[in-house]
Amino acid sequence: MNGYSHDDGRFSRRAFLGAGVGGLAVGALAGVGGTAWARSDGADAPAPSDGVPPATAYPFYGQAHQGGIATPQQRHAIFAAYDLTTTDPRGLQVLLARWSAAIAQFQRGRSLGAVEPTRASAVPTDTGEAADLEPSGLTVTIGLGPGVFDERFGLADRKPARFGPLPALPSERLDPKLTGGDLSLQACAEDPQVAYHAIRVLSRMAQGSAAVRWTVMGFGRASAGKGQSTPRNLMGFKDGTRNIKSDADLAQFVWHDGADQAWMKGGTYQVARKIQMNIENWDSDFIADQQAVFGRTKQEGAPLSGAHEFDVPDFAKKGADGEPAIPATSHVALAAHENNGGLKILRRSYNFTDGMNADGQINAGLLFIAYMNDPAAFVTLQTKLGQSDRLNEYIAHVGSGVFAVPPAPASGSYVGEALFS
Amino acid sequence: MQSSLFLRSRRVRTVAGLAGVLGAVALVAAGCSGDGDATAKPGATPSGGASKVDVTLTAASGTDACELSSTSVPAGPVTFTVTNKDSAAINEVELLLNNRIVGEKENLAPGLAAVSFTATLDGGAYEFYCPGAEKDTVAFTVTGQAAAAPTGSVQSILADGTAAYGTFVQSQLAAMVVGVGNLKKAVDAGDLAAAQQAYATARPFYEKIESDVDGFVLPGFKATDNSGNLDYLIDMRASSLDPAVGWHGIHAVERDLFGKKKIDAGTKKYAAELATNVAKLQDLAKGLEFKPEDLANGAAGLLEEVQANKITGEEEKYSHLDLATFAGNVEGAEQAFADLQPGLEKIDPDLAAQVSAQFDAVKTTLKKYQDSSVLGGYALWTPELRKTDAATLSRAIQGLQQPLSKVAEKVATAR
Repeated sequence: MNGYSHDDGRFSRRAFLGAGVGGLAVGALAGVGGTAWARSDGADAPAPSDGVPPATAYPFYGQAHQGGIATPQQRHAIFAAYDLTTTDPRGLQVLLARWSAAIAQFQRGRSLGAVEPTRASAVPTDTGEAADLEPSGLTVTIGLGPGVFDERFGLADRKPARFGPLPALPSERLDPKLTGGDLSLQACAEDPQVAYHAIRVLSRMAQGSAAVRWTVMGFGRASAGKGQSTPRNLMGFKDGTRNIKSDADLAQFVWHDGADQAWMKGGTYQVARKIQMNIENWDSDFIADQQAVFGRTKQEGAPLSGAHEFDVPDFAKKGADGEPAIPATSHVALAAHENNGGLKILRRSYNFTDGMNADGQINAGLLFIAYMNDPAAFVTLQTKLGQSDRLNEYIAHVGSGVFAVPPAPASGSYVGEALFS
Repeated sequence: MQSSLFLRSRRVRTVAGLAGVLGAVALVAAGCSGDGDATAKPGATPSGGASKVDVTLTAASGTDACELSSTSVPAGPVTFTVTNKDSAAINEVELLLNNRIVGEKENLAPGLAAVSFTATLDGGAYEFYCPGAEKDTVAFTVTGQAAAAPTGSVQSILADGTAAYGTFVQSQLAAMVVGVGNLKKAVDAGDLAAAQQAYATARPFYEKIESDVDGFVLPGFKATDNSGNLDYLIDMRASSLDPAVGWHGIHAVERDLFGKKKIDAGTKKYAAELATNVAKLQDLAKGLEFKPEDLANGAAGLLEEVQANKITGEEEKYSHLDLATFAGNVEGAEQAFADLQPGLEKIDPDLAAQVSAQFDAVKTTLKKYQDSSVLGGYALWTPELRKTDAATLSRAIQGLQQPLSKVAEKVATAR
């Protein structure tokens, strides 16, 4: 009967059994908050340039912010947006509470209950495909869409003033089936199967309360966080060279101060965009044009005004032809904070591929995910990019969602609990 | 003939082990309660009202634990109030007597309000089971005898339900024999319109009980030989065609009536063979008896049919009557659930209410497609309709599958 014991390995995933678990992970498992891996600003531990050890387990409870935002970006991600099918506020609370508890288990490398129940007629609560895998630095981030604050749940007065559906933006070609959502989950891990398992089980738990609306599987990080080498997107260019990396910038541009809604203090807003790339066209473009589109060199990633990746772009510098070395319609010129009143957002993107599309073209691109303390920051930047970015010739925004991301829960609580109190 | 048949079971049928009624214990009430109950004083209350036991789930110092305010109470009603303080690992608790569930609570996540359940307990050595806790079983002792005799054990209520369900299955088989007989008549008469109508009328009966009767193999055939598999001979379709055995049964008739849109000698042969095989099925199924978990597993099986074959449009490839057969699957599943419901309400009223609400949601969704002007009474499941509406219907079924998947374990372990 009592088949859920820790000793038989059914309930615990392998990494939790002890051997080979690094001290860092043990610290996290023991509930010691603020370990080096849990923070992006851990001055006492150098963040690895590429990935973290498989035994890494990030704590879920008792952090200032949810994981998966300032956490060193993992290699793989699954993003899923959900429609709430329940109209009962209690149903929403139970879902958020059960999701939170399950995520806490998954981040520790544990299963959700028994993979192999002892009763023959029991249906396993955990699907099992991550049973032998380590925590792999998993983080799952819960977001609340604008629909949470509509007439269904009686939470209209809890809606932050700056939050709502994104307006229509220039150059976008949104597919309704890839747009919107009442809830979002972003699962990131060093092992794609660990991230997939989390989303699969969480989606299953949601059945009857929420249903998956759209999802994107991201492989290969396509943004650089603090201390990380700059990865490349599928266009072959480095992405995220000038991303937010300092705590000061996180405080200024990412974390919500809770001024209008106390439950959002320490939270942030998440913007997710599925960006299709016209891969075949891009691959037939000559190198000088590719570089002019981005405003950077391809190999080094240097701004066209400089020689090295981290040289500060000089938008005033002229080339031999008397034109700006970095074209005014290049992606870098349009997106730079120098040209946007100092505006910055935290990008945390991934490459994706969905095989071939119905027209016989490669279906791939960028799962763009960004965090900011005011969704208007994205609207401002994307409006400008959508109007004149030369990159628009080679990309299309086909999916979109915006979500309010509450802070991490204290022990004994769940994500968003303060919203209901 | 019957001596050599055997039933192929696609699902694990558990040995119920129902022998021996385990003392007089009845679950008298269970349900959600607000914070008010959570403040009840811990400890046993020997006289007047129910004894109170507070159950606290914690993860203090990283160890998930299940703590009871009292581990011994006098016989009589006992109210357990469960609070998940901070254990992410424990999300359900059960009170067990000799490995059978006396009471339980699920969905216990940190941060949610306390919940309670009450059971009238006779003396005995019980176990309080908290899967996920480091020490997942706490011994729980009840002393003395309960004052009041309980009224009707859960098992006897469930037994009434399974008997009623057996009658339902027989009634559907009888109706199918009549319906297929009418189909054969119309086919023999060469009347295409009448045959199409008769097909639509005959179709739902098998769909209501399919998961109970799809395991019969004709005498003298191996289980792997489709030419002796009654389900194949009655309900095979293009996607399950075994080239060695060929086309048979109701979908072979469907293919001719709705695909070729003509009746020929082959159609008549299919219809005649179908009538024979349906009669054989009725004969073979006469002695079928059901355990409570068979009903739950059967209902789950019918919903799997919906997801796998109806929503995909695969089942009624030629007639597009998928929504009518979808409705048949749902109706059959609901009948099985209805026969379990009185027992399940004693075991886990929350779950019973969830399943009931999800059945209502499915039926409300399905109702939008009702159209009496169409053969079968529902909109035709054309590729165009499927493209726009499949996700909505699939979601509704998923919402039902999730709570329904828990029912078998409950009724199999009911006392």
